[in-house]
Amino acid sequence: MSVPTPPGVPAPGSVPAADVRAELRAGMASLAAPEAPSGAAVTSDLSIDETLLLHSIGWVPVDLVNGVSVYAVPGGVWVWSQGEIAPATEAHQRAVGAAVARLRRECEHVGGAGVVGVEVTIEVHPHHVDVELVGTAVRPAVAPPAGRRGHRGPLPEVFVSDLSARDFVLLHGAGWAPLGLAYGTSFVNVPRRSASTALQQRTQNVELANFTNALYSARESGMERMQETALHLGATGVVAVHVAEGPLSFARHAVQFSAWGTAVTLVADAHQRIAPEVVLSLDDRDIAFAAQSLRGR
Amino acid sequence: MSTTPTAGDLPEDAGHRLEELGEGLFTSDLSVNEFLLVKEAGFHPLGFVMGSSIYHTGVQLRKFSTSQELTKLTEAMYHARELAMTRMEEEADQLGADGIVGVRLDVNYYEWGSDAAEFIAMGTAVKSEDGESYRNAKGKPFTSDLSGQDFWTLMQTGHVPRGLVMGTCVYHIAHRGLGQALGSMGQNVELPNFTQALYEARELAMTRMQDEATELEATGIVGVRLEEKTHQWGSHTIEFLAIGTAVERTGEAVTLPRPTTIISLDN
Repeated sequence: MSVPTPPGVPAPGSVPAADVRAELRAGMASLAAPEAPSGAAVTSDLSIDETLLLHSIGWVPVDLVNGVSVYAVPGGVWVWSQGEIAPATEAHQRAVGAAVARLRRECEHVGGAGVVGVEVTIEVHPHHVDVELVGTAVRPAVAPPAGRRGHRGPLPEVFVSDLSARDFVLLHGAGWAPLGLAYGTSFVNVPRRSASTALQQRTQNVELANFTNALYSARESGMERMQETALHLGATGVVAVHVAEGPLSFARHAVQFSAWGTAVTLVADAHQRIAPEVVLSLDDRDIAFAAQSLRGR
Repeated sequence: MSTTPTAGDLPEDAGHRLEELGEGLFTSDLSVNEFLLVKEAGFHPLGFVMGSSIYHTGVQLRKFSTSQELTKLTEAMYHARELAMTRMEEEADQLGADGIVGVRLDVNYYEWGSDAAEFIAMGTAVKSEDGESYRNAKGKPFTSDLSGQDFWTLMQTGHVPRGLVMGTCVYHIAHRGLGQALGSMGQNVELPNFTQALYEARELAMTRMQDEATELEATGIVGVRLEEKTHQWGSHTIEFLAIGTAVERTGEAVTLPRPTTIISLDN
């Protein structure tokens, strides 16, 4: 039984390998083509609540956009040597950079002013780094008066943020605006411990200085790179920083440190106080009694 | 404790990043909610600060049928955590912070060989916007594991955090002898040796935590958590960790508005 194939989409298995590249190139070309869709249906991964919240500050979702990059890591970089593993770090930085750039371009293409709720998925494999960013492009509902490039108020260009739409609305209310994704990473080799040292330390309470230093070195370079990307965007702060650190599963002598967050800046004249109201919910939590819990840990 | 880490042992690389933070950029692992509430409380985030130490825990022999504190392991847990905390405080100090909020203290075990673990402390260094100093009795930035939400609420009730205090005790709980086990078979009976051991270990941990709070001239400890972990020591060796934020009443009036009671209609 064969499933009818929509026009323009090749049936699975029917495309020779050479044609796949052509398809890809065509896909990339259509992405770059500056034809703005008008009146198209809106796709977004925002919840109803988030959409309403966006509407409350006069913004609307435009489209679901994504940016993907798979970057090759040169072979042989994971051998145990000293210091930072520069090729791996570079591949990681470039992969994230390329994915962000694509996300931006796609957002511009659909006429968005920025992307919110970007889900960041980064996987490091021995031979490649995969970065996937998916988010919703948003824009002000009323198109600002046409004019020069900086017509979107104080925001110079399309922003990318991993904050949710609800966080975006909150920041907006306090006079802040997201500028872009700040990110930084570093891979560092852990110096060896000599066998005699290891043996000596076997029964002692002692800090393993080589590991500590390697992690510090990775952390400092990673954080510094994140700060540099933020400064480059003209930010005055980075909020909701996420960090991932630790040894790599496939190369235990190397540690990785990655950090990313949303670069923000104050766009209003001053920080607007939010003056929260204190509420006390009278809802009962579901109280379930489980006999199992009596049996201890 | 004799194992207090010396000041100024921050690994060299740490300096650079902090210098950059002096130039008008802040970093923070606070969520947007927390960020806004910290601002609301009159503080501005300065930077994401961290301290860590990869620590190798020593070995101490345990007697099969004796309940006892394993002082060497207790010392290790103290020393490693203090190394991490002190390094984090040093970073905050370098930034000229008044305190650190949202401190997380974790122990991670990696496949670097047995008994080696990473002790890590991280949080957001903050500085008060009104220029008043909120440093604690030791002249150091205060530390607190309270979230941004809790921090704001605490400040509204006329209290200020003074420091993250903790007490730990690694305890070996005796196994029961065969005779005891047989004697209590089929009966409803309390196992006094287990009960007593657990009591004692908890008491030790709590007392040590309170001592730390007294040193800080605190008037109370909020958000105390009591954690029991066996780490990698087998079932009868348990670490009891009591951890909380020491607070001091500053005598100012409570400015927390009376809460509105709500019943949400969604289910």
